[in-house]
Amino acid sequence: MLLLLIILLPLLGFAYLGLFGKGLREPLPGIIASTLTGISFLLVVAALFAGGGSWEIKDWLPGIPFSLVLDHLSGYMGLVVTGVGFLIHVYAIGYMHGDEGFSRFFAYLNFFIAMMMTLVLAGSYPVMFIGWEGVGLASFLLIGFWYTEKKNADSARKAFITNRIGDLGFLLGMALLYSSFGTLSISGLREALESSTVLPLSLGLAGFLLFVGAVGKSAQVPLMVWLPDAMAGPTPVSALIHAATMVTAGVYLIARSSFLYANLQDVSYFIALIGITTAAYGALSALGQWDIKKIIAYSTISQLGYMFLAVGVGAYWIALFHVMTHAFYKALLFLASGSVIHALGGEQDVRKMGGLKKYLPRTHLHGLAGALSLAGFPLLAGFWSKDAIITATLNYPFGGIGLYVAGLTVAFLTAIYAMRWYVLVFLGEYKGDAHPHESPSVMTIPNDVLALGAVFAGFLALPKPFWNLIEPFLAPVLAHVEVHEMSLGMEWGLITLSAVVALTGLYLGYLAFTRWALPKWYLTFQTWSENAFYIDLVYNVLIVNPLKELSEIWALLDGLLDSGYLALAGLSGWLGEKLAWLQAGYVRVYGALMVLGLVVMLVWGVLR
Amino acid sequence: MSYYLLLSALLFAIGLYGVLARRTAILIFMSIELMLNSANLALVSFARSSGNLEGQVMALLVIALAAAEVAVGLGIIVAVFRSRESTSVDDLAEFRG
Amino acid sequence: MSAFDLLMGVLLIASALAAVTLKNAVHAGLALVANFLSLAVVYFALEAQFLGWIQIIVYAGAVMVLFLFVIMLLFDAKADVGLDRLPWMRPLAAALAAAFFLALAYAFSGVGPVNPLADVKLGGGLPKALGGLLYGNWLYTVLLVAALLFAATVAAVSLVQPQIRKARVKPQVLERDRELEEVGK
Repeated sequence: MLLLLIILLPLLGFAYLGLFGKGLREPLPGIIASTLTGISFLLVVAALFAGGGSWEIKDWLPGIPFSLVLDHLSGYMGLVVTGVGFLIHVYAIGYMHGDEGFSRFFAYLNFFIAMMMTLVLAGSYPVMFIGWEGVGLASFLLIGFWYTEKKNADSARKAFITNRIGDLGFLLGMALLYSSFGTLSISGLREALESSTVLPLSLGLAGFLLFVGAVGKSAQVPLMVWLPDAMAGPTPVSALIHAATMVTAGVYLIARSSFLYANLQDVSYFIALIGITTAAYGALSALGQWDIKKIIAYSTISQLGYMFLAVGVGAYWIALFHVMTHAFYKALLFLASGSVIHALGGEQDVRKMGGLKKYLPRTHLHGLAGALSLAGFPLLAGFWSKDAIITATLNYPFGGIGLYVAGLTVAFLTAIYAMRWYVLVFLGEYKGDAHPHESPSVMTIPNDVLALGAVFAGFLALPKPFWNLIEPFLAPVLAHVEVHEMSLGMEWGLITLSAVVALTGLYLGYLAFTRWALPKWYLTFQTWSENAFYIDLVYNVLIVNPLKELSEIWALLDGLLDSGYLALAGLSGWLGEKLAWLQAGYVRVYGALMVLGLVVMLVWGVLR
Repeated sequence: MSYYLLLSALLFAIGLYGVLARRTAILIFMSIELMLNSANLALVSFARSSGNLEGQVMALLVIALAAAEVAVGLGIIVAVFRSRESTSVDDLAEFRG
Repeated sequence: MSAFDLLMGVLLIASALAAVTLKNAVHAGLALVANFLSLAVVYFALEAQFLGWIQIIVYAGAVMVLFLFVIMLLFDAKADVGLDRLPWMRPLAAALAAAFFLALAYAFSGVGPVNPLADVKLGGGLPKALGGLLYGNWLYTVLLVAALLFAATVAAVSLVQPQIRKARVKPQVLERDRELEEVGK
């Protein structure tokens, strides 16, 4: 019941604010929504201390109970979701101040939390799918929150439709699993897989299809195009849904199904490849962006790529570790950006910023902490988790030296674009014409908390010989993989190497973007990167436009079909008109018809 | 006795024609009486041919029923005439489909 | 078949045809009276004397007087005049009636000829014979019919009772005025 409450409280908030929110005065909906999310967070904490729990409706569907499970994995994820969610709720009270849709916004946010917790707590794939679709809906609603502008509505649709492609994969994967094992309960599947030595051939395909679902939700190559456009939503939404929580659902799905993927070497390797490709693509695209939020959006794609790299090589706990640190520093970066945008009255172009260090001292610190953490500055949260991922490519079963080199290169790029973001926004001279002012404390205090996380969260899991709290915490729920032990010297040597790479990147980035000392070829690259390597264009030419053509052909056919049906309808209408004449109301006509029937019956009776 | 049966069938058919062909409510009503009487004729001739009086009893009851029917039917005609100023059934074409 | 039978048949059919074709409602009513009277004669011949008298008294007498009274009341003597909105109804009705007659006649053809002078058990259809049956086996039916007759009487009275209408001129008055005007011309 406790588990149900975790979901029901935000859902209640959604229902209440959705129905009666308009009558509430400004800060009240935000306070209600934040409180409910906060209580959910406390409930997750309480449930974790109580040693987890589960709740289910038996025979919800044949072979599939409606089950919620809170074990270490879902508890861990739930903490991230409700914890970061709570902070962002509070921040949004300040950010959405004066917006017409104030209560609607919080209703949606609460709906998102409820659905995300359904996804996280799900004990079977269909339940997870409910949450999966629910967060997709919440994402759609929130991207298009300011729906009066066509661009926002288009972005919302784009996100929704792109996600559908992935969802199809998820559905097919579930169907395949169900037909092979007769159950979709995650624990049931796990048992079935562990007890049977012969693995069905379809298992690889099922794993791949589930991964397709994850690709859509987590904006991996090739379905990454929706995430940058999703920045059309309010900034807290970008922070909560499109950075910290929802987009990591794909990682969570893979980690949840780790018992499946640990046996699938080819699929895992494929996942790692997709992950590193996405990481590189995101990092390269982030370099050329001019929109303060889009830089971070592409960075999110890149970091998600890292997470998939981690789950791909089999380092599930490291991926989840990165989910948490990323949630902290990426939410922080988004919220700091939000503060900047708020301060500049809606300006998002970094070319019109600069020098904000002077005007926004608190936000500057937040931005610095977030950027350094993202860049992998030694001892910050991002450093530990990203380094763990890069090292894992060497000692986890599905890794390889190629992945290591690529991962390190992307880390270098990450440091450069993180520094670029920081330099363009906060250093130099202010180039805009607004009058920047620091945000209210309702916005800065959540950022303080997130900044603490972004700086210190990495100390939860340090490499040997120091303590590691996360790996043993998650070990019982994740699949066991054989890890190639590394000598301490080797490990710390690699850590030093990645620290040097990050620092070099930061230094080069600082040099290049403060003095604007860029080589000529960079300008060409800049154009390509700014347009995200024209992927949207390619998709339009290759997929969207042919589909449009096709739909027009179908529309023609449809018209033909319609005219056929119209003719049919016309015929029956005509017949009806003619027949209605029999019902003209003349008693004698009715009488004649009755006698006719009588005669027919009589003749039939006589002749029989 | 099938002669009288045939006669009754013919009378019934004539009554039927009257019901359909007449337009005035009272005349239709009279045609209905004709049909009732043809049925009575059939009953009586059956009674005669089978040597059983029950047919006559039934005819008697039919006459009583016809009296009741006439009372109500004529009442309706009068009432309709009051509100319509017409006794033509074609003027009552209200239940148009 | 005797000459009497033939005569009665001709009378019955002729009067019936007159009743359904005559334009004047009063004439049609009188033709119907003739039909009923002929029928009574047939009843006498078929050993149904009581029924024959009832036919004369109730049908030819009471019922037809009622009819004629209503015809007079509504000034409906000139029936079936004016534009016929369903002119094709007449031939259709004839066709249907003919078809019905043929089917019925075919059905009756199966009824075999019965001994012409059946044993005289009918007792001439006199009350003495009928009474035992009416108040024996048929008692409840008779009671039911009596109740129905009573209900019909009440219904007829309530139907014809002048309704409480707001200042509405009785239609028949208007009708009478129109009629008088026409006479005046």
